[in-house]
Amino acid sequence: MLTLVARRARAHWPLLAALLTILVVGATLLGTSTLLVTRTSERAVEVSAARADPDDVTVTAYIGAVAARNAGSVATDSRDVLVTAVAPFTATTTTRASGALRTLPMAGESDGVQGGGYLSAIEDLPARAALVSGRWPRAGTTEAAVLQSTARLLGLKAGARVQLGPELGRDANAPVEVTVVAVVRPLPDTGWDRDPLGGAGFDPDPPESTSARQIHAYGPFLVDLDTLLSGRNALSRIEVTARPDLSAPTERGLDELTASLLGANRKLEGTLGERVEIQRVSSPLPQLLLDARDQQQLTSGAVLALALIGLVLTAIALTLAGRLTTGVRTNEFNLLAALGTSRGQFTAVAATEAGAIAALAVVLSVPLSSLLFAGLTRLPPLSGAGLGAPVTVTGTQVLVVAAGAVALAALHVLLSTRPAADPGDRRRHRELLARSGLDLLLVALAAVGWWQLRAQPAGAGSRADAVRILAPALILVAGSALLLRALPPLLRAAERLATRSRGFTFSLATAGAARRPQALAAGLLICLGAAAATFGTAFGSTWHTSQREQADLSVGTDLAVSLTTAPVTGQSARVAAATGGTISPVAKQNIVVGQWLGGPDTAPQLVAVDTRRADALLRGRVEADGGWAGVTRTLVPAAPVTGVALPEGASLAVTGTATGDRPIAVTPHLMLQDDTGLRTTCDGDPVALNGRPHAVTGCVPISGLRLVGVTLSVLGESGIQHLSAIDATVTLPEPPAADWTVRSAAPESNQLSDPKVRADGTRLGLSAVVSFADTTPSSRVLVATAFADPGPIPVVVSRQFATEVGAERGSEITFAVDQTPVDATIAAVVAEVPSVPGGAALLADVDSLSRALAVRGNVDSPVTAWWVGHPVRTDLGDLRLGTVTTRTGEAERLTGSPLRASFPAVLRVLVVAAVVLLLGGVLLQVTCDMQLRAVEVARLRGLGVSRRGIRAALLGEQGAVVLPLLAAGAGVGALTTWLVAPLLIRSDTGAAAVPAAIAHWPWAGELLLLAVLAGACALAAGAAVVIQVSRADAAHLRVAS
Amino acid sequence: MTEPLLSVRGVNRTFGSGPAAVHALRDISFDVEPGTMVALVGRSGSGKTTLLNVIGGLDRPDAGTVVVDGLDVTGLDEDGRSQLRRDKVSYVFQTFGLIPVLSAAENVGVPLRLARADPAERERRVNLLLDLVGLAGHAQQRPGELSGGQQQRVAIARALAASPRLLIADEPTGQLDAETGLAVMGLLRGVVESEGVTAVVATHDPVMMALADRVVRISDGRVDAC
Repeated sequence: MLTLVARRARAHWPLLAALLTILVVGATLLGTSTLLVTRTSERAVEVSAARADPDDVTVTAYIGAVAARNAGSVATDSRDVLVTAVAPFTATTTTRASGALRTLPMAGESDGVQGGGYLSAIEDLPARAALVSGRWPRAGTTEAAVLQSTARLLGLKAGARVQLGPELGRDANAPVEVTVVAVVRPLPDTGWDRDPLGGAGFDPDPPESTSARQIHAYGPFLVDLDTLLSGRNALSRIEVTARPDLSAPTERGLDELTASLLGANRKLEGTLGERVEIQRVSSPLPQLLLDARDQQQLTSGAVLALALIGLVLTAIALTLAGRLTTGVRTNEFNLLAALGTSRGQFTAVAATEAGAIAALAVVLSVPLSSLLFAGLTRLPPLSGAGLGAPVTVTGTQVLVVAAGAVALAALHVLLSTRPAADPGDRRRHRELLARSGLDLLLVALAAVGWWQLRAQPAGAGSRADAVRILAPALILVAGSALLLRALPPLLRAAERLATRSRGFTFSLATAGAARRPQALAAGLLICLGAAAATFGTAFGSTWHTSQREQADLSVGTDLAVSLTTAPVTGQSARVAAATGGTISPVAKQNIVVGQWLGGPDTAPQLVAVDTRRADALLRGRVEADGGWAGVTRTLVPAAPVTGVALPEGASLAVTGTATGDRPIAVTPHLMLQDDTGLRTTCDGDPVALNGRPHAVTGCVPISGLRLVGVTLSVLGESGIQHLSAIDATVTLPEPPAADWTVRSAAPESNQLSDPKVRADGTRLGLSAVVSFADTTPSSRVLVATAFADPGPIPVVVSRQFATEVGAERGSEITFAVDQTPVDATIAAVVAEVPSVPGGAALLADVDSLSRALAVRGNVDSPVTAWWVGHPVRTDLGDLRLGTVTTRTGEAERLTGSPLRASFPAVLRVLVVAAVVLLLGGVLLQVTCDMQLRAVEVARLRGLGVSRRGIRAALLGEQGAVVLPLLAAGAGVGALTTWLVAPLLIRSDTGAAAVPAAIAHWPWAGELLLLAVLAGACALAAGAAVVIQVSRADAAHLRVAS
Repeated sequence: MTEPLLSVRGVNRTFGSGPAAVHALRDISFDVEPGTMVALVGRSGSGKTTLLNVIGGLDRPDAGTVVVDGLDVTGLDEDGRSQLRRDKVSYVFQTFGLIPVLSAAENVGVPLRLARADPAERERRVNLLLDLVGLAGHAQQRPGELSGGQQQRVAIARALAASPRLLIADEPTGQLDAETGLAVMGLLRGVVESEGVTAVVATHDPVMMALADRVVRISDGRVDAC
């Protein structure tokens, strides 16, 4: 038997080589996919953790209300808990703590309000503040540093001694005295937002005050940590932050870390016990790692889905090869059967041959898959994702390759032991008809798979499952099988047409194509191969396009700077100069709509931009005509606000009088607007209305500013029935226009009546009758603006927003920004608002919003970010304004993430494998067909058909089969992309992509692919036909006699 | 005296060279009169098929001339020889040589398609020929659905389709049983007479020899007797 196998192998070596090649392609694909879903997948989580944003890997313990005697031990124990929680990774820890508010005798009392101060300690203070004067406090001393603003307000300089009185509240500790040795300036984006006063240095009414009375709070007085924890200070808060070193993580270590962090809160609670009132461990790290795992599984599922398509292709190619082998060996099979060879013996021979081929395939595929894997990881996107890997062989890889090769070889054995069909036998058609049941089953399964994909939840947590893995392959195979059914009727129609013609070539070509089952046997491979290649190409393009669209919508603009502190005058010029693009101040913050606050992570959001520049600024898919400019056209204010131009360094004076004998003062707030529309407020000191002028200085540090609003907060003893007519005049460098308007910021309180404004030369006068019955200071704010009350401002809302509040175009709503109500009219409903993908959000014009807030007395800038369109430069690190995000960077993050980079890589492999298998199948089919028909070709020569005629007929026959199949395959690939790709594409959190992915056709790529396939098929068929026709004379024309 | 339809003069054909050379034909010469049937007999390997291939222009002699219906076959190029087979010479092969994917009628119609005959005229002629060979009721059947004798009759009908001047048959009954072979021989003899065609038939069959007007014996590539 072995002799038979060996000799037959020598005789049929080209055929067996083709079989081996197909097997190697399939097994290599399997091996490579195995390495991608094991090695790369594990490594992806590790790299993802190592590359995570530093803020995302911090673990912070927040502890509140600690008695002085426990301060030291609580800080130490908290640190120990965190260090243990991040094991096995080493960690660096930093601690910051703030003492309880104490009285501050030096601040005295202002308007009957007591002054207060507090101590704080930050371990790495020099990294978070810049030294303005003096030197850093020494450890173990009572030396302190103060913020510039605190120093200015309290008149502190280095060397000043400050007495902090007893703590406010119960169990007050004794006063402490510190020596100021440094005046510092807080650096942006260094955590000052977690200071009790937000790093402002002063708050007239701090929210955290434990006193029932109003306190003017100053601070912090920054001392050494050990000094603060010495036991003489009660602490209002302690923050211990641990940063684990994840530079070289292992998968197991990350799993341990996740589990440990999830239990850290309980552990801290158990450790600190009764010593503290509040404790909590917070870290984005566990969720980050869990999300990474989910994403990794989704990617692995997608890789497996693509590998399965490759495997199905390989199996079909092998089936074709098996049928062709059987056809070539028909005579041998019949002879051996006639000699009494049993089915078992046939199987043994086939198994021996297949086993040898499978063994050889494993030997070749293992190193080939390792090489291919290593090569892939050295190419983008895997290389860029930090997933480069050396040539490696793993046990799992060898097992999978071996199992795949054996399974495919078994398929070959099955086919080899079946007798071949007669080319002219009409029963073949009946057999094909009988297979309709299988086709229908495939279609039904594909439909179920597609339906389940459609029904998958939109939220995160959709892990890889069998449906996601099987559905694409099922739809491709079912579509190909179904379309393959349409080919014979088409060919028969062509054949009928040819029957009525005079010529021979067309007739023979169509008859051959329509009636030879061997030609159709390759049909499934050709159709599916073209479908898989088309699908792979279009899916890749759809995936990349979706990632870009997600990035566009997520960032909302080309470059966004999220400010860590409120914007300051002159910032716009710096941003414009640094980026070189079209800039806009942006208000982006959570809002309250009526009574609706939204969910914990789904609060409605306001996005207000300069809509005059919407086209240049806004990004993200929008369905409306005219793009974002068209959508926001109705949001643009009718006319810009001009106000009063202020030369650089201009000084304004406020003079005023008040009737009655009680002292009344006003605090002026000047609303300034720069060239970009950014409005900032300059707060003056309280001005006594005593008829004397008071200069308001330092408000115009740059040129180009305009005064667009003035608010006067009227100060005086309240809670008494007292009326006073006040009259204040702001002296300006230029005369104001006559169109200034004035109103009470809170007309409903009835504390201001008869408000008036007048422009008189360079003076702007404001007057009103003030009541002091209400104790709320905000009820007595007089607002004069260079613009009228805008009324309800037009807004565009997201579909989610409209659904949540039950609003539609034309609806009127009221939302609150920092507790200031704003009336709005919904001008349009869009799918998504830029930068709030999938969220309930409204889009407004930042100028209109600012006007609406100002007329209600809220002159604080609502701006929280800068958006830049078409930036020339994107590196704004030197400005230290806050987090900079670009949409190109976001797109790169999404497409190049280590957790997702395997997907586009394996798509490429699938396309190449599909093309190789398709072309291999076509070559094999044509070659075998030509061999089997060599005598027939010779007969045609004998009948007087010229070589040219035979070549034309045979090529026509092959073309009549291959070209429609390629077209059908491309159609199936396109259909599968349209049906499946948008459902398979998820966001980086595993949730449905927002905006929803839509199929994207890379026309150039697809046309090139089809041209390559058609050209290569024509070349393969042409070569085989030409060779066979030329051989016909020499090899087959001699008719034995 | 009538001009011979086929004239073979001094034809030599050698395959290979040197000591391994096989001299398939050595100085073969004979003539065949129009409307006659000549039986070409000889043992296997005697050179019958080579001679038929040379006569039909499927092979070229090393020396000598073959003239068919006044046309020097040996002087023709490949296109000319293809033209010869389309217009003047038809083959009947031992293994029938039918195209498996075509029906009996379509196989018969192949030479007419090559001649770009009018479809209606083609259909009429095909029906006539199938009727002639007794297969009118099997026109739509494919070769795989016909018996060996039926296939050979289809092959004969196809050979006659283009009204050839010379019909070459290589062992036409070689794969048939005696009874069927006899029927095919009778058919061949009949069409020679009815269609006025000239036939050269390579055969081992004594009955066929008996039906022939003349027998040409070949041995070791030489004509032994005419």
